[in-house]
Amino acid sequence: MSAPSVASVAPPVLPDQEELIRRLLSDTPLLKDTSDHLIQVVNVLETYGIVLDAYSRNLVDQGNKQLLNPFPVFRFFHEGFSLKRLWDHLLGDRINFEYAEYCQKAMFWHGTGGLDAYLDSEEFESACQKIIQCKSARDPLLAITNKLYPGFAPESIRSLTTIYCLGLFWRIMSDIFIDLARRYAIKEVVCVRDVVHHIRDGLVAAAGSPITYKVTIGNEEIWVLPPEAGLTFLVDVAVPYVEAVFFRGMPFLGTVSYNAQARQISPDISDFKYGALYADPIPSMGAGIPPSLCMQDMYRHLPEELSTWYDDHGRGQVDVHVQICVSFQKSMFCVTNGAIAGTMPHSLDTDDPEQQAANRAYAESWSGRLMGCQRGALL
Amino acid sequence: MLLSILLLIPFLGALALILWPGSPSSARLRDISIVLLAAQCVASFALLLPFDPADAGLQLIEQARWVHVIGLDYALAVDGLSLPLVLMNGVLCLVAAIASRSIENRPRVYFAMLLVISGAVNGAFLAQNLLLFFLFYELELIPLWLLIAIWGGANRAYAATKFLIVTAVSGVLILGAFLGLAFVTGTMDFSLRPVLAGELSLTVQLILMGALLIGFGIKIPLFPFHTWLPDAHTQASTPVSVLLAGVLLKLGTYGLLRFCLGLFPEAWQLAAPWLAGWAAISVLYGSLAAIAQDDMKRMVAYSSVGHMGYVLLAAAAATPLGLMGALFQMVSHGLISGVLFLLVGVVYAKTGTRDLNVLRGLLNPERGLPLTGSLMIIGVMASAGIPGMAGFISEFLIFRGSLQPFPLATLLSMVGSGLTAVYFLLLVNRAFFGRLAIAPGEVVNPRILDRVALREQVPAIALSIGVLALGLAPALLSNLSEAATTGMSLSTGGLS
Amino acid sequence: MTSELSIPIQTAWLIPLYGFAGMVVALPWACGWFRRQAHRAAAYLNILLTLLAFAHGSLILQEVLRAGSVDLVFPWLTVADLDLDISFSLSLTNMVALELITGLSLFSQVYSLGYMDKEWALARFFALLGFFEGAMSGVVLSDSLFQSYFLLEMLTLSTYLLVGFWYAQPLVITAARDAFLTKRVGDVLLLMGVVALCSFSGAMGFTDLYVWAARDSLSPLAATLLGLGLIAGPTGKCAQFPMHLWLDEAMEGPNPASILRNSVVVTCGAIVLLKVMPILQYSPVALVVLLVIGSISAIGGSLVAIAQVDIKRTLSYTTTAHLGLVFIAIALQIPVLALLLLFSHAVSKALLSMSIGGVIASTNCQDITELGGLGSRMPATTTAFLIGAAGFVGFLPLGGFFALAQAIDLLSVRSIPFMAIFLITNSLTALGLVRVFRHVFLGDSLIKSRRAAEVNWQMALPMVALSVIVVLIPFLLVRLESLEGLLAFPLWAAVLVVASGLAGLVAGALLPLSKAWSRSLNPLLRWFQDLLAYDFYTERFYRITIVNVVAEISRLAAWFDQTIVDGLLHGVARFSLSSAESLKLSVSGQTQSYVLTVLVAIVLFLTSVSWFLT
Repeated sequence: MSAPSVASVAPPVLPDQEELIRRLLSDTPLLKDTSDHLIQVVNVLETYGIVLDAYSRNLVDQGNKQLLNPFPVFRFFHEGFSLKRLWDHLLGDRINFEYAEYCQKAMFWHGTGGLDAYLDSEEFESACQKIIQCKSARDPLLAITNKLYPGFAPESIRSLTTIYCLGLFWRIMSDIFIDLARRYAIKEVVCVRDVVHHIRDGLVAAAGSPITYKVTIGNEEIWVLPPEAGLTFLVDVAVPYVEAVFFRGMPFLGTVSYNAQARQISPDISDFKYGALYADPIPSMGAGIPPSLCMQDMYRHLPEELSTWYDDHGRGQVDVHVQICVSFQKSMFCVTNGAIAGTMPHSLDTDDPEQQAANRAYAESWSGRLMGCQRGALL
Repeated sequence: MLLSILLLIPFLGALALILWPGSPSSARLRDISIVLLAAQCVASFALLLPFDPADAGLQLIEQARWVHVIGLDYALAVDGLSLPLVLMNGVLCLVAAIASRSIENRPRVYFAMLLVISGAVNGAFLAQNLLLFFLFYELELIPLWLLIAIWGGANRAYAATKFLIVTAVSGVLILGAFLGLAFVTGTMDFSLRPVLAGELSLTVQLILMGALLIGFGIKIPLFPFHTWLPDAHTQASTPVSVLLAGVLLKLGTYGLLRFCLGLFPEAWQLAAPWLAGWAAISVLYGSLAAIAQDDMKRMVAYSSVGHMGYVLLAAAAATPLGLMGALFQMVSHGLISGVLFLLVGVVYAKTGTRDLNVLRGLLNPERGLPLTGSLMIIGVMASAGIPGMAGFISEFLIFRGSLQPFPLATLLSMVGSGLTAVYFLLLVNRAFFGRLAIAPGEVVNPRILDRVALREQVPAIALSIGVLALGLAPALLSNLSEAATTGMSLSTGGLS
Repeated sequence: MTSELSIPIQTAWLIPLYGFAGMVVALPWACGWFRRQAHRAAAYLNILLTLLAFAHGSLILQEVLRAGSVDLVFPWLTVADLDLDISFSLSLTNMVALELITGLSLFSQVYSLGYMDKEWALARFFALLGFFEGAMSGVVLSDSLFQSYFLLEMLTLSTYLLVGFWYAQPLVITAARDAFLTKRVGDVLLLMGVVALCSFSGAMGFTDLYVWAARDSLSPLAATLLGLGLIAGPTGKCAQFPMHLWLDEAMEGPNPASILRNSVVVTCGAIVLLKVMPILQYSPVALVVLLVIGSISAIGGSLVAIAQVDIKRTLSYTTTAHLGLVFIAIALQIPVLALLLLFSHAVSKALLSMSIGGVIASTNCQDITELGGLGSRMPATTTAFLIGAAGFVGFLPLGGFFALAQAIDLLSVRSIPFMAIFLITNSLTALGLVRVFRHVFLGDSLIKSRRAAEVNWQMALPMVALSVIVVLIPFLLVRLESLEGLLAFPLWAAVLVVASGLAGLVAGALLPLSKAWSRSLNPLLRWFQDLLAYDFYTERFYRITIVNVVAEISRLAAWFDQTIVDGLLHGVARFSLSSAESLKLSVSGQTQSYVLTVLVAIVLFLTSVSWFLT
C-alpha cells in the first residue's frame, strides 16, 4: 500500500502566440507532429467520422420528416422503425443523437454567419408563411397555435433548417474523416501535417457546395433555402459551426453556475469560451457535461489500434472516455488548423510582401483566439 | 469448548505462522491468516446457535483452575453484552487481514500480531476472571504497539511510544483497581460473578471505580485522555486503524459497562451525573476538534472521541434503553469507523495524501475514485446519524434512554451529533466534490491515479452493507442482547 | 390485519418502496456496469415504478373514498419500554397528498427526460429522484412521529445528493452543503423534540400522542421547548425564515428536482407540521413563533422575490412566502385551509417551475434582464407560465383563488391582521409574477433570447398536461371536498382576493422595467433594493455569526488539544517516565524494545501481584 511517488517533471512550456503564428505561416501543424499524435488524431477522426455519418443521416432525415411535428417521438429512427430498434433505443444501446441536437442548438442559438442572416430575411419569412398555410389546412392544432403564438412556427422552421444544414455539413465532414482513415491505412497519410493537409484540401474542395433545403407538404414543394439564396458550405455553415461549437459553445451546467447573481456567465455571448477547444477533458462522463454523449458514441466505434493504444496509457480502459476526449480535442485543433489553412487569404509560399502581410494578419487574428484555448493539448 | 476455540484458532494460528517452514511470501501468509480469521469468524457466529437470547445471565461457561494461588483462573462465558462484540471482532479482524495487502516488511510477524490481537480481544470480551481479563487486555497492547511502530507512517515512533505509555498507564490503573478490590474485600477470588463491592463503603467503591474509569477512559478514549488516539491513527496503517477504532476502543467501553457499572453500581449511580457531563464534554470537544482537522484520518479519529462519548452518556444513564443504545453504538461505531478508515486508506494509497486542502473532485467518474466516494458518502452519513443506517438507531436509543435522567447532557450530545454532519460534510465536499485535483493549483492535468480494483473495496462494501442492515433491521441486534442489557440496567428508565 | 382488506390496501406498504426500488434498479447503470449503453433504461424503469406507485395510490384512494380510512401497523423495533412501528395512515388527506407527490414526481421525471437529455449521468439522477420520491411518499403516509422523522432525514440526505448532483460545479458544492446543514439544524432540533416527546409520552403514533397531549399537562417551559423543537424541522424543510437560505441556493441543482423541491418537498414539511399541530396547541409560545415565522416569511419572501434577477430564484422565494401562509394557517389551527393552500400551491408551482425550466433550456440563461420576447415563440412554455401563475395567484377562479378566498373567510372571524398578510402576499406575488412575465415573455428579443425554439416534446408534454390539470383543479377540489365547504365563502371575501390580485397585477404591469439591471440612483431606494436582492443579507449574517463562531471554537478546540492537553501529557510523561525518550529512540531496533516491553509489563505485573501477596 505504498503511496505512489510524484514524478517531478518541470511543467511543459505552452507555445506562445508568436509560435502559433509561426506554425500557421510555415505550414507546420499546430499540434506537435509525433507518432502518438498521429495515431490518436487519425483514429479519433475515423470514429468521429462514423458517428458524424449517423448524426448527419439523422439530422437530414429530421429535416425531411419532422417539419412542425409537435411530438417527434420517433425522430431518431431514421433507419426505419422495428421492435428490435425500439428495444435498443430504450436500452440506450444506440448513437446518442441528442448530442447532435445539442450542437445544432449551439449553432442556432449563437446565430452567426450567412445562414443565420438568411433566416431573418423576408424570403425566408414568406416561405415560412407558405409552409404554415399549407400545414394549417390539415392541422387545426397548428392553425390555432399559429393564431395565438405567431412566432412559434417560423422559429420551429428556423430551428429545423439549422438541423438540416448541420446534417449536410456533417455529411461532408464525415466523408473527409473516413477518407482520411482510408489514406492512413494505405500509408498516404504518415504525419500530423498530412492530416492537416487532408482536412484543408477536403474543406477547400467542398467550400463552394451549395446549401439548399426544400420541404414537401402534400404534393407541394416549398424551398426553404432556395438555390438563389446562394448559401455555400464553407462560409455559411462550416464557419458558423466552428464559431458556435469549437469556440463559443454553451456553458455546461456541471461546471458553471447559471445563477444570475453569481454572474459567472458573460451577458455577451460572443465572449463565450465554452467550446471544444476550450474544454477541460478531465470531467468527461461526469454529471452535466453534454459532450460525454459524443465521447460515448465514439467509444462505441473506437478503432482497434487506438483502443489498444489507450490500454497502455492513462488508466487503460477505465478512463477511456477521458482519453478519447483528450485525443478528440487534439484532432479538433487539427480541423481548426485545416480550416485556417484553407481560408488563408493567399498561398503560404507567396513572395508578395503585401500578400504575406495579409496572411500574417490573418494568422495573428486566429492565434489571438487560440491563445485562450487549451494549448496544453498541442504538446 | 466453543469459546476456547475462539482463543485457540488465533493463538495457535499465530504460532503456526511463526513456525511456518521455509520463507512463505507475504501473499501466502495473508491467505493463511485470512483462512484462520475466517474460521474464527465462522466460529463466533456459531455461538448464535447455542446462545439463548432470552437468558440475561452468562452462558456457555467454561472454567478451569489455572494459577489458582493468585486467583487467576481460566473462566470464559458469553452473554448478550459480549456476544455482539465478539461477532464484531470476528468480522473486523477478518476485514483487517483482507485489507492488509502488500505487507513487504516482516509479513510473518505482522500477520501473527494480527492473530494475537484478535485472540486477545476475544479473550478480554469473554473472560470472567478479573486477572484473566487484565491479561488479555495487556496482551492486545503489545502487538498493536508493534503494528504501529513497525508498519506505521513516518512519525510512527512517537505515536507508538505515546500509545504504549498511555495505555500502559491505563493497564496499571485497571490492575490496581482489581488488586485493590481483592485487597479490601480480603478474598483471593478474582472471578467476576460474586458481587463483592456491595459490602464496601461508598468511598472505597468510588476510589476503585475512579481508577477503573480513568483506566478505561484512556482506552475509550475520553477527553482529556484522548490525544494518543489521533496520533496513533495517523501513523497506523489502514488495517491497524480499522482494528484500533473498531475493536480495541470497544475494550474500553466494554470495561466501563462490565466492570465499572457491573461491579460498583452504587458508586456508579452516585457519579452518574458527573459522568453524563463528562460524556457531553467529550462529545462536543471531539466534534469541534474534528471540524478543525485537515487530515482526513485525524478527522475520523476525533470523530471517534465524540462518538464514544455517547456510550459513556448512555452508560451513565444505565437505563435498559440506554444500555441497549450503548451496545448499538459500540457495534455501529465499529462498523462505520471501519468503513471510514478503509476508505481513507484507499484515498491515501492512491493519491499519497489525506490533506483536505489538497484533495479535490475525487468523485470524478473515470479519473477519480467514484466508488470510494459513494461508499464514503454512505459512511459519513451513517456516522452523522442519518436514518436507515446503523448510527441513527444507536443515537436514538441512547438519547431516548438518557434524556430523562440527564436532559441537559443529552441535548448537548445531540448538538454534537449535528456537528458530526458539519465536519463529515466538509470532508466529502472538499475531497470528493469539485474538479479533480490532487495538489494545490493542480489545474491543468492532474496526476493519473492508480485505479482501485473492485476487490480492494470488498471489505468496505461488506461493512457498508452491515451498516445498512443494522440501520434498517435493528431488531437483529436488539433481540440478541435485550435480556442482558435490561439485566444490567440500574433503573427502569420507564415512564415518569 | 384482517382479511377483509382489499389487496391494494393490504399492500400499501409497497408505496414508499416503489421509489426506493427505483433507486436500487438504477444502481447498475449508475455504477457503470453497462459500458456500451447509455443510462436511459434506468430512467424508464423509474418512470414505470412511479407510474405503478401512482396507480396503486389511486386504487387505494378509491377504496378510501368508498370505505373510509385504514391504518396499517407493522412492528419494527421493540426494546425495553420503547415500541417503534412502521405505520401507515391511509386517510383521504394522506392519499390525496400521496397522489400529488407521485403524480408530480411522474410529471417531473418525464420532464427530466427532456430537460436532461444531454446528461450522461442520468441513472444517478433518477436513482436520487426515486430515493426522493420514496422518502416523500413515506412521510405523507406516516402515522408515527418517529417514522416521519426517519423519512424527513432521508429527505434531507436526498436533497443534499440531488442539489449536489452536478458535484463539480463550485456553487453547487456550497449549495449542497448549505441545504444539508440548514435542514440538519432543523432536524436536530426536531430530533430533540421527538426524543423528548417519546420520553414523556412513551408513544410515537400520532393518535397516541394526541391523546397523551390532551391528557398530560407539561410544565409551560417543557411544552414551549417541545413545541419549538417540533416546529424547527418543518421550518427548515419548508424553507421558512430564518432557515430559508438553502432553497435559494438549491436552485443550483437540476431543474426537475427544483420542480419537486418547490412543490412537494415543502409540502412534506408542512404535512409533518400539520400532523404535530394538535400537540402544538398546548404550547402557546410555539404557536406565536409559528405565526411570526409565517408572517416574516410571507411578506419578506414576497418582497425578496420581487428583487431577484434570477428566474429560478424569483420563483423559489414565492415558495417561502406561500409556505409562510401555510404556517399561519397551521398556527391558527385551521388544517383544512393549510391543506387547501398546500394543494393549490404545489400544483401551480410545479407548473411554473416547469415553465421556467423551459425558458432556461432554450435560452441557456437564468437572468431575466437578459431575456425577452419569448412569448410568441414558445406556446407550451408561455401557456404553462400563464396558467401556473393564474392558478397560484388569487385572481382567476382557479386553485389559488379558492384557497385564498376560503382563507379570507376563515381568517375574518379569527384575525384581521393575518387576513391582511394573506392579501398583501397575494398582491406582491402577483406583482412579482407579472414582472417576470414582462421581462421574459414580452418585450424585444435580446441577444440570449434571439433564437429560442420551443422545448422538446418530453418537456412540453408534462407542461401541457399539468396546465390542463391546473385548470381543472377547481373541479377536482369540488369532487374531493363537499361542494358547500369550498364555495361557502362570502362574496366580499372573493372580491377582496380578486382586488388584491388585481392590485398586484396592475402594479406589476405599470412597474418600470430596466433591462440593464441598474440600481436605483436614490441611495435609500438603492439600499432597500440591495437589501432585498441579497435576501436581507442573510447569508452574510450567517457567515459572520454562526459559521464564524463554530469555526473559531473548533480552531480553539484543536489548538487547545495540541498545546494544552497534549502538552500536559508530554509534561507528565517526561516527569514520570524519564525513560520515555530512550524508549522512543529504541524503536528502531524493534525486536529489542519488544522484548524490553514484554519484560517491563511482566515485571510490572509480577511486582504488583507480589505486593498484594505479601
